[in-house]
Amino acid sequence: MGAAGPDAIPLAFEGLTVDYGERRAVNGLTLTVRPGEIYGLLGSNGAGKSSALKSTVGLVRPSAGAVRVFGIDAVGDGLGAREAIGYVPESSILYEALTPREFLEFVAGVRRLDPSVASARMRAYADAFQLAEELEEPIATLSNGTRQKVLLTAAFLHLPRLLVLDEPLNSLDPRSVRIVKELLVRYVARDGRGVLFSTHTVEVAAAICHRIGILDEGVLRGEGTLGELRTRVARGDASLEEIFLKLTRGDEGLSDALAQLDGGPDGLA
Amino acid sequence: MGWREAWRWSGLAFQELSLQAIYAFRQGSIAPSVAAHDLVPRAERRVLQGKFVVGATLALLTAGAALLARAGPGVIPGVTIAPGAFSVGVVTGLLSLEVTFLWWTGLQILPTFLSSRILEVLTPLPIDARTFRRVAALLYLRLFDLPVAVVLVGTPVFLGLALGWRAGVAIVPGAIGAVAFALALSLLTGRFFSHRVLGSRGGGGRTAVRWAYLVLWVAPAFALVAFVTAAPAFFGILGPVAAGVPSVGGSLLLAAFPVPFAALVAFVAPTGPGIDLPAVGKLLVLGSVTAYAALAGAAGLWVYESIGEIGALLPGRTRPGPVVRSELRPQRPAWAVMTKDLRLASRTPGFAFLVLLPVLDALALGLLTYVRAASQSAPTLALGAVTAAALLATFFGPAFFAIEVVAYSYGRTLPLAERSVIVGKTTLVASIYLVAGAIVLGLAAVRFPAPIVFAGFVVSELPAVVAAALLELGLLFRWARHRGTPVPNLYSGAWTAFVVTVPGLVIAGLPLAIDAKAGVAAMALVSLAELAVVAPFVLGRRRP
Repeated sequence: MGAAGPDAIPLAFEGLTVDYGERRAVNGLTLTVRPGEIYGLLGSNGAGKSSALKSTVGLVRPSAGAVRVFGIDAVGDGLGAREAIGYVPESSILYEALTPREFLEFVAGVRRLDPSVASARMRAYADAFQLAEELEEPIATLSNGTRQKVLLTAAFLHLPRLLVLDEPLNSLDPRSVRIVKELLVRYVARDGRGVLFSTHTVEVAAAICHRIGILDEGVLRGEGTLGELRTRVARGDASLEEIFLKLTRGDEGLSDALAQLDGGPDGLA
Repeated sequence: MGWREAWRWSGLAFQELSLQAIYAFRQGSIAPSVAAHDLVPRAERRVLQGKFVVGATLALLTAGAALLARAGPGVIPGVTIAPGAFSVGVVTGLLSLEVTFLWWTGLQILPTFLSSRILEVLTPLPIDARTFRRVAALLYLRLFDLPVAVVLVGTPVFLGLALGWRAGVAIVPGAIGAVAFALALSLLTGRFFSHRVLGSRGGGGRTAVRWAYLVLWVAPAFALVAFVTAAPAFFGILGPVAAGVPSVGGSLLLAAFPVPFAALVAFVAPTGPGIDLPAVGKLLVLGSVTAYAALAGAAGLWVYESIGEIGALLPGRTRPGPVVRSELRPQRPAWAVMTKDLRLASRTPGFAFLVLLPVLDALALGLLTYVRAASQSAPTLALGAVTAAALLATFFGPAFFAIEVVAYSYGRTLPLAERSVIVGKTTLVASIYLVAGAIVLGLAAVRFPAPIVFAGFVVSELPAVVAAALLELGLLFRWARHRGTPVPNLYSGAWTAFVVTVPGLVIAGLPLAIDAKAGVAAMALVSLAELAVVAPFVLGRRRP
């Protein structure tokens, strides 16, 4: 992962700021997803992870800063950027009335995929995710986990150069989680691809991400490999959870909060 | 927990429902960039605006019918019927319109009610079954409150002002019956929709069956048109019946809802001669009124008892069936949009009725043309059917645009150019118009004096239909870029749809108006000129 030109960089946030009315969700975020890298964005609920990811596909318009996908300005040339991205949203709300096959057919059409190539990929992912029997059922009747598998299949369908995955393992069964984790590691190793992966599950981030960024209240509190982050908190044996709590100051008052719950009017213990 | 508490809960639930109706978060939309605390008040205001548009339309229809009943049969050319019988006919038409209009409203908003899953949120709370039913019933009523108020209050007031206070009082049972039947029909068809349409699997044959089911949903909207078209025939049958000429058909007519309620008005507030029923006829009317009142009560009770199960109306998990085909057949983006819209419409009654309405309208009027082929009015009827299809097509733009709200947050992440979406949806609008035109042409061509001229009429209007759809969709997408979210349903989208439909109607209507004076060639020129102006305006610039 040496130095690469702007066109080879899968994703770069440059001072990204996202506001919802008067509330600032992302505040001057700057980070880069390098070729061949799985970048994990770790943060607590409401930290601004999803807002940052949404700005890559045009779902939110940044108030300031820039988003570049392989050098393409994702705000000025949204279509160009979205061509390169495979996206899995945080909530698996799809075209409820379509079946997975009809949905994937729509996505393949929009992405101008060759029928035989699209079909082969659909079959491969459907088999891997054990989805084949549900390809003809209305999405409205599918479980959350199955919907997530459909979304993942759609994201991989055009073999994107950049995968933007917002909590992609939500609702998945352990087998599928394993498949996705293995798949991402193998996928990103080819053709200068990149993955931006948001999660609040530290074990997943620690297991598969090359680098991790810790987002808190819209601000990047720290980033690097697990080793670099350990150095940052000056503890060589710190777990990612401990690093996260330290950098986001989530450990402050943790004991008090538990004690308060325990010693509350009803007492937990 | 009493009714007061249930009312408060239903108010909270309605806030959530309004939020979902406008911003459709549970259908996959995303939050607009406005202050969070302003979202709910905005949503409530826009739902109220939508209800106002629906309520005002209903009030106009009611006031118009009351004025017609007062004016008497002289105002309708060709209707020779006694004043008393005429008022029975008008009030019958009014009550029928009210039932179908409320039913139609229910069909439009019920899918939003279901998809909001608001009762699912309440279900796990420790609320007893009786209170839950009350909350659900009140919530359901809140969906219709303004239109229902117009029927329950407006109908007696307008009729009272037009025909005297006795008429106003006498119509009250009929108005209550109309509301009860409409609410029950909405719920009944909603259940049907959930079981047979939304939960239906994919596959060619099943798609055809689903479209056939959806014809049912078109019934109320089609009935609105049918009442107007069938009015002269109805008066023709009603005249002898009201004059006391005994017949089996006449007795059946007197017993059919809502004729007895209209006859009741005529008995207590006669507007003139023409009602001369024998004692048996009067007994039949009174007996029918009593029976329908009991049925309306039962319908109301059924709604009250059943509405709490509305959460269960969502399609359940079905046993996986055989895979229809395991390959994908991707189409070009604009075609992919069109196919997706058609597939969604085939499982979404609110959209399906728009697709089916002009087709059924063309089928009905085309058949009429065929039957009356010898009559001088056949060509007029055929051209009227196509004209109706062209004008109805101006409502498709907003409807197909509203489909974009479904999974909006996902759809927008795809590299799909706005131009492709507009072209896809416009092609769909034009196709529906052409199908309607082809049906009429097919049915009428055999006996039509000049089928080429007729075909020319259909083709000449096509560019105008395309131009109207392009302009409507262009305006709506422009607004969506500024405001964030498309309009998802009748209430939230009524005003927006109305505003863009007006220029659409002008564009589609202008060549039709030209044809009446200057002929098909001039019509084609105007139609093409409209398209030449609108197309570059809408499709000229590339947008992300």
